[in-house]
Amino acid sequence: MSATGAAHPSVKERAELALNDEFLRKAVKFTTERLRNGKKNASADHGNWDEWRERGRQIRLHTIAHLDYYLNLFVENARANGVHVHFADTGEEAVRISLDIAERKSAKSVVKSKSMVSEELHLNHALETIGVEAIETDLGEYIIQLAGEMPSHIVIPAIHKNRYQIADLLSEVAGERLEADTTVLAGFVRKKLREKFLEADIGMTGCNFAIAETGSMVLFENEGNARMVTTVPKTQITLMGMERIIPSFEDLEVMATLLPRSATGQKLTMYMSGISGPRRSDDADGPDEMHIIIVDNGRSLQLGDPEFQELLNCIRCGACLNACPVYRHIGGHAYGSTYSGPIGAVLTPALNKNIAEWDDIANASSLCGACYEACPVKIPLHEMLIYLRRRKVESGHGNKLEAAGMKGFAVLMANASRLRAILALGKIGQKLVVRKGEIRTKIGPLKGWNSYRVTPSLPRASFRDRWATLDQEIRHGLQELNPEMQRRLENAVKQRQQGGGAGHGGH
Amino acid sequence: MKVSLFITCLGDAIYPRVGEAMVRVLAKYGIALDFPRIQTCCGQPAFNSGYWKEARASALTLLDAFEDSDFVISPSGSCTGMIHHYPKLFEDDPVQRERALKLQAKSYEFAQFLVNVLGVTDVGATFPRKVTYHPSCHGTRLLGVKDEPMALMRHVKGLEFIPLPFAEDCCGFGGTFAVKMADISGAMVTEKADHVKETEAEVLVGLDMACLMNIAGNLRYRNEPVRVMHLAELLAEGANLA
Amino acid sequence: MADIDKSETAHAAWLKEMEAASRAKQETFMNGIAARLRHPRMKEKPAHPYRGALDFWREFEWTEEERIARFADNWRSVGGHVARLSNADEVRDFIAGKAKELGARFVVRQNQAELDALGLEAALPDARISVWNSDPEEHWKARAAEADIGVVAADYAAAYTGSVTVLSAKDKGRSVSLLPTVLMIVIPIERLKTRLGEVLVNFDRAGREQLPAGIHFISGPSRSSDIENDLTIGVHGPGIVYALIVG
Repeated sequence: MSATGAAHPSVKERAELALNDEFLRKAVKFTTERLRNGKKNASADHGNWDEWRERGRQIRLHTIAHLDYYLNLFVENARANGVHVHFADTGEEAVRISLDIAERKSAKSVVKSKSMVSEELHLNHALETIGVEAIETDLGEYIIQLAGEMPSHIVIPAIHKNRYQIADLLSEVAGERLEADTTVLAGFVRKKLREKFLEADIGMTGCNFAIAETGSMVLFENEGNARMVTTVPKTQITLMGMERIIPSFEDLEVMATLLPRSATGQKLTMYMSGISGPRRSDDADGPDEMHIIIVDNGRSLQLGDPEFQELLNCIRCGACLNACPVYRHIGGHAYGSTYSGPIGAVLTPALNKNIAEWDDIANASSLCGACYEACPVKIPLHEMLIYLRRRKVESGHGNKLEAAGMKGFAVLMANASRLRAILALGKIGQKLVVRKGEIRTKIGPLKGWNSYRVTPSLPRASFRDRWATLDQEIRHGLQELNPEMQRRLENAVKQRQQGGGAGHGGH
Repeated sequence: MKVSLFITCLGDAIYPRVGEAMVRVLAKYGIALDFPRIQTCCGQPAFNSGYWKEARASALTLLDAFEDSDFVISPSGSCTGMIHHYPKLFEDDPVQRERALKLQAKSYEFAQFLVNVLGVTDVGATFPRKVTYHPSCHGTRLLGVKDEPMALMRHVKGLEFIPLPFAEDCCGFGGTFAVKMADISGAMVTEKADHVKETEAEVLVGLDMACLMNIAGNLRYRNEPVRVMHLAELLAEGANLA
Repeated sequence: MADIDKSETAHAAWLKEMEAASRAKQETFMNGIAARLRHPRMKEKPAHPYRGALDFWREFEWTEEERIARFADNWRSVGGHVARLSNADEVRDFIAGKAKELGARFVVRQNQAELDALGLEAALPDARISVWNSDPEEHWKARAAEADIGVVAADYAAAYTGSVTVLSAKDKGRSVSLLPTVLMIVIPIERLKTRLGEVLVNFDRAGREQLPAGIHFISGPSRSSDIENDLTIGVHGPGIVYALIVG
C-alpha cells in the first residue's frame, strides 16, 4: 500500500528498523508523553470525563445506527447551502472526481489542509500526474510532503523528524541555508505558504464533523491553514469520510469537548470553523464554488457488523496512539499504512478487507487495552484486534504451525490429567536446559523470549501436586468463619442473584 | 459457602507458592479454599490468537470445575478477565453462554475479593522493605482493580511504597505477542525494568504472575537483584503465614 | 468577455450534469447504507435521546465577573493578550496606542456599527484604515493580507474555553480575523457566555437558512508544535491577538 510497506513487507521488519533508530524512539516517546499528559490533565481538569466519553459514544452510536437518515439530511442541507455534493464508493472514484474538478477549473495549484482521507487516497500524487501542484499547508504535513513520506502520527505528522532534517528539507526549497531554529523554519514556511495560498486555484480540506441538520462542515486546527484554504481560493473541495456526521451543533459541543482534549490536551483548538456552503453573494471572501466529496472506501463494510461498526465512531484524535506502548517504541511508519497505532491496526485491515495483511498488523499489539482506556468514544480496539485474528484463523489464513500448536493446546487443556502428564514430562525435559533453577538458552522456541529474559524452571512439585498436603494442613487448624464475613459473602451472592453481581469489574 | 481457587496455568506449573500464599491468607479468615482438580487453563492464549474453538475446549473445563462454586478466586486479573470474555466466546451456544455468565458473575481476582467482598484491607502484615507495584493491564483495565492493592499495601507495617514511573504502561508480555513480536516486547519489558530500577525498590509486587515473570525475567537477565513477588506472597510472608 | 461567458456557461452545465449524477448516486448510496444496517430507508427523524451535552453541564454558569476572569486566564494561557476596557473611547485609545507602538501602516476592520462608533480613523490619521467591503471595486482579500492589524467585533465569546466567535457576512470578512499580523477582537461584555454550548445552540435555533457561510471560533494566536514539539506562534494566522472586553 506504500513505498515503506513494499520495501519491508512485515510489521516485524519495519518495527525492527524503528527499534534501531534512537532518535525516532526518543522523539516518539517525548511527543506521545507530552500529548498523553496533556490529555490526562485536561480531562481531569474538565471533570466527569467518563460521563462525557459515554455521551460522546452514545452520540456517535446513534448517528451511525441511523446513518442513512443523517447522511441524507446532511446532503440535502449542504446542497441547499449551495454545495456540490459527490459520492465516491472507492478511493479511485474520489480521486477521479477531485481531478475532474481540478481540470474543469483549469487549476494550476491546490493548497491543502490536513486530511487523513486525502492521505488514504494518495491524492497528491494523482494531482501531480495531471500537472497540478498539490501543496500541504499544515506545517507538519508540509514537511513530510517535502520528504516524500507518509504521516507517522494522526495529529503530529512529522513526529519522526528532527529540526536538522527539517532545516535541510526547507533549505532546499528556500535555495539558501536556513538555520535549524524552529522560529526561523516556521517563519520561512509562513512566508512561503502565504504566497501559495494567495495564488492557489483550489483549496482542499478534510472534515472533522459534518452537521446533518444544517449541512455544515466543521474543521478543528491550530495553525490557521484550514481557514486559509477555505477562505482564499475561489474553489473549495472537501473530502469527507461518510461517517463524519453528527446531528446538530449541540452535539458538536460534546465532540468539541472530547476531541481537542484527547488530541493535545487543549480546551479547544485555536480555530474551530463551521463552513455552511460557498460565500454568500454579498460576501467579499470565501470560495465561489464548494464541493464536498463523500467517501466510502471500505467504511460501509463495517456497518451492520456487530464487531466492527463502532470503528466508525472514531473521531481521529490520536489518543490511542499516544497511550499505546507499542506505538511508543516503533512509531507510526512501522504500521505501514496511512493510519497507524491501535486505530490503524484495526482500521487498515477493516477498510481493506485484506486478509493477508490482517495477521501481521493485528499481531503488533500486546492487547493491554490502553487504547480503549484513552479513547474518547470508548471504541474497544483491543477486542477488535482479537476479532481480526479470529476471522483470519476462521477463514483458513492462520499460520499452519501456530494452528497445529493451538490444536495441541486444546487437546491438552480439555483434560486436566493430560495437562498434569505433560507437566511431568516437562520437568524431565527441562533438565537439559536448566542451570541454577533458570533457563537462559536462546535456541528453539525460547530464542525470542530469552534474548531479553531468563526463563524460570518448573518447580519440583506443581500446585496440583502439593494440594492434598496443603489442604489437610489448612483444614486442620482452620478457625471458624467470622460472622461478619459470612454476612458479606452471603450479601455478595444475594446481590448477584438480583442481577447486580457483575458490578465487580468488567467494562 | 464454597470459595474455589482458580489456580491458572502459571500458578499451577511455575508459581505454586502464590496459590499457597492465597490459601494461607484466606485461611486466616476461616475460609478454606476448594480446589477442583479438573480445571486447566482459561484459554486465553488460544482466544487472543484467534483460535476460539480451541479456547472453548479449555474454557469448558472451568465451566465444569466451578459449576457449584459460590466464588471463584484467581491470582491473576488477566485470567479472571478472560472469564469475562466467556459470554462472547460462547455467544452462539445459549446453554454454555448461560453458564459463562454465571461464572463471570462469581469470579474475582484475589485483591478484589479480599478488599471488596471480605472487606479486609489490613491482614496484619509487617514488611519493612521498599516496595514498588506494577498494575497489570487486564486487572486494572478489564476488572477495574486499582485501589484494592493500594489499600492492602497501605496497611502493611513498615512497607515503604515507591510509585513506579509509567506504571500503567504494559510490560510487553501479551502472551504470544512476546514470542511473535519478540523485539517490540523486548523493548517494552526493558523499559519497564528500567523504571523498576529507577525506583530503587527492593521488591516489585503485582497481581499477575505472567507480567511478573516477564519483568522478573528481564531483571534477572540483567542481574538486577530486585525481588519479584505476588501481593499474596508479600501479605502471607508479612503476616508470618508462609 | 464572450469567451469567459461561454466557458462559464459550459462549467454551469457541467455542474448540472454532476448534480444529476450525484442525485442518482445518492439513492443507491443511502439504500446501500440502510441495507447494511438491516433496516428500511429511514425517512423520519429518529428520536435522539443523547442530543448535546449532559444535563448537569447545561445548568453550569459563571457570574459575569468569573466569566471575565476565566476568559482572560484561558486567553493568556495560550499566548493571547487581554484588556478590560469600560467604553468605546478606551477601546479606541487602546487600539490606537498599540497601532502606534507597532508602527502599523495598514489597518483593516469589519464594517460593524460597534467599530464605526470607535472613531478609529480620526485617532489614527497616519494609518490607512480600510473598512471591509465598503467599495465593491476593491480587492478585499489583498487589503486584509497587507494589513498589519485587523479589527473585528465578536459575535459571541465563551469563557470556559477562552474562545471568541466571529460570523461572516457582507460586512464581516473572514479574512479580517485571519490574514493580518495582529488581530484585535472587541468583545462587548454581554456577548461573553460561560460555555461553548451557549454559543452553539444559537446556530441550531437559527436553522440552516439563517447561517452565515463561515462561523469561526478563535481561541488564541495561530500556533504549531510540529517541529520537535517546539511551540511556534503565528504560523499562518495572526500571531498576536488582543481580546478587548468592553462594558
